[in-house]
Amino acid sequence: MVASGQKQALVIGVITGAGYGLVALGLVLIYKSSGVFNFAQGEFGTVAVYTLYRVHDRIGVPLVPAVAIGLAAAVAMALATERVVIRPLFDAPRVTLLVATAGVSLLAISLELWLGEARLRFIQPALSRLDRVSVFGVQVSDQRLLVLAALVMLAVLLALFFSRTNLGLAILGVSQEPVATELMGISVRRLSSFIWGLAGLLAGIAGMLTAPVVGSFGPGFLTFNSLIPAFTAAVLGGMNSLPGAFVGGVVVGVAQSLAVSAPAFHGIPGAGSVMVFVLLVAVLTVRPHGLMGKA
Amino acid sequence: MNGERAERPGVAGLVARGVVIGAIGALVLSLNVLLGYTGQISLGHQAFVGIGAFTSAYMVTVHGQPFVAAVGMAMVVGGLQALLLGVVSLRVTGLYFALVTLAYGTMAEESLFNIQALTGGSAGQPAPKPMGFTTDLRYYYLCLAFLAAVVWVDWRLMKTKGGRALLAVRENPRVAATFGANVKVYTLMAFVVAGVFAGLGGALLAHNDTFVVRDLFNFQLALVFVIMTVIGGLRNRTGVVIGSAFFSLVGYFFDKLTSGGLNVPGLKVLPKEYVPIVIGPLLLLFTLTRHPGGVGQQIRPVQRWLRGGRFSFKDTHDAAILRGGERVSDVRA
Repeated sequence: MVASGQKQALVIGVITGAGYGLVALGLVLIYKSSGVFNFAQGEFGTVAVYTLYRVHDRIGVPLVPAVAIGLAAAVAMALATERVVIRPLFDAPRVTLLVATAGVSLLAISLELWLGEARLRFIQPALSRLDRVSVFGVQVSDQRLLVLAALVMLAVLLALFFSRTNLGLAILGVSQEPVATELMGISVRRLSSFIWGLAGLLAGIAGMLTAPVVGSFGPGFLTFNSLIPAFTAAVLGGMNSLPGAFVGGVVVGVAQSLAVSAPAFHGIPGAGSVMVFVLLVAVLTVRPHGLMGKA
Repeated sequence: MNGERAERPGVAGLVARGVVIGAIGALVLSLNVLLGYTGQISLGHQAFVGIGAFTSAYMVTVHGQPFVAAVGMAMVVGGLQALLLGVVSLRVTGLYFALVTLAYGTMAEESLFNIQALTGGSAGQPAPKPMGFTTDLRYYYLCLAFLAAVVWVDWRLMKTKGGRALLAVRENPRVAATFGANVKVYTLMAFVVAGVFAGLGGALLAHNDTFVVRDLFNFQLALVFVIMTVIGGLRNRTGVVIGSAFFSLVGYFFDKLTSGGLNVPGLKVLPKEYVPIVIGPLLLLFTLTRHPGGVGQQIRPVQRWLRGGRFSFKDTHDAAILRGGERVSDVRA
């Protein structure tokens, strides 16, 4: 009984964790290109979900174009943030930039609160039949499986993008050695915009995939659900490794899910967030360069 | 006689908001100690404030202690938790420290504030106003007195050896260290002072509302404190107090404005509880990108003039601080 419960938690943890990993990818990309801890990353995703909801459920645009419009909104918000907030503060201390992105995040949350009346909205599953499929003896709803399949596909696409395309290689170059990349004739400034846009896109996808797993969304839901776990994941990956961030996300997701379900932690409110906090402090104290990063 | 004045609706509303000035002023000064004096930022201040509020409410309601003892206890607990968190996490600074405080705040919100025995769970904990200060107006004066005390302590602290060391640490931790200032100890000290002030502010807020509910202490609250500090102008006590007063009152006045007939057709009127969190970030971004010194920078000529100096708008040092690359505040651990 306990064993199957743990296994269930493990599978759920992997799926939630992959969502964290997706947010963390965006965080690491932006940190490597602009040196900013982007606290607005979660909001890019929430805005995408809100836009999707508005366009699909209110106006009645079919799902596929609605998804595209939602993702476009996330990308637009990320690009606007980069242009309006980050670029003018290019020479400011990093903590100032952090405050600025936190401001962007709060602005988005409060606009959602104001316009969306603080209500939780429930999501109709894309697969209307709520079948449960058995994977390794664990019951998983097919909604979750769909999310997992999308995440795996996305991870493969990203890996291909970063290893096979010129653009992907240029981004890797900028993040590792900006000066040398500039000397190779690549505009770091222009790539910076592109990277923010890409991070916005990733956050949008993460939001759209996380919302159906959670089942509902409200103002700032991706920030509150995923931002801290995603940062922990990025730190686990050393803040500089893209695969590290994704794997870190899965680790955080599993740890959190186990903490919530473990019988030893019953009766402790918020065991999941305690776990994430402990994990973050432990990594920062013991291995500040991350589990996979180089010292 | 004071009660009579407080019953006039306009004044009463203003006083109710004004109480918050005192309490929030203390809180924001607490953040100013941290952000302004050490360059470290706390994004988990809702935890500090909440712990102060719940400690005070717990002492008064469950243990029947007098107000003064409860507030004292809130300050002690606030300082202690800052000490604990600081010892664990101040080995990292800058961005990573901000991250740890953010995670701490969320943890407190989801875990600590849900401990039924201490906080009353979702029902909350009553926190009556102290004897003799039961009217809004009197409590307001009490808060102002506390605020004055905090301003005074803050001012005196910065004149001590520790205060000067902190300034040196902020300007350049490495240089300060070579001059024999123990950077870690002084940063920790500032963090504890911030914790004590925050505990006090939380307790004052709790007794103003006469009821503490955990939902009040969320991430938005922590960010609003940061925004007030930055807009007020770092390291400028007057500016910071003006910043917090502005945010305490802006919702009230906005409400008066909209109920007084200002109505943009087609646009939903902003409810007053959302005013600070909508206008705040906009002002924050404007301050950061255009006027990095905040209110403090704008009032500096007046302050200089009051002290007998020349009245001039030329600002030498402070404008450069938020923008400038002179500070090493993002050193990785």
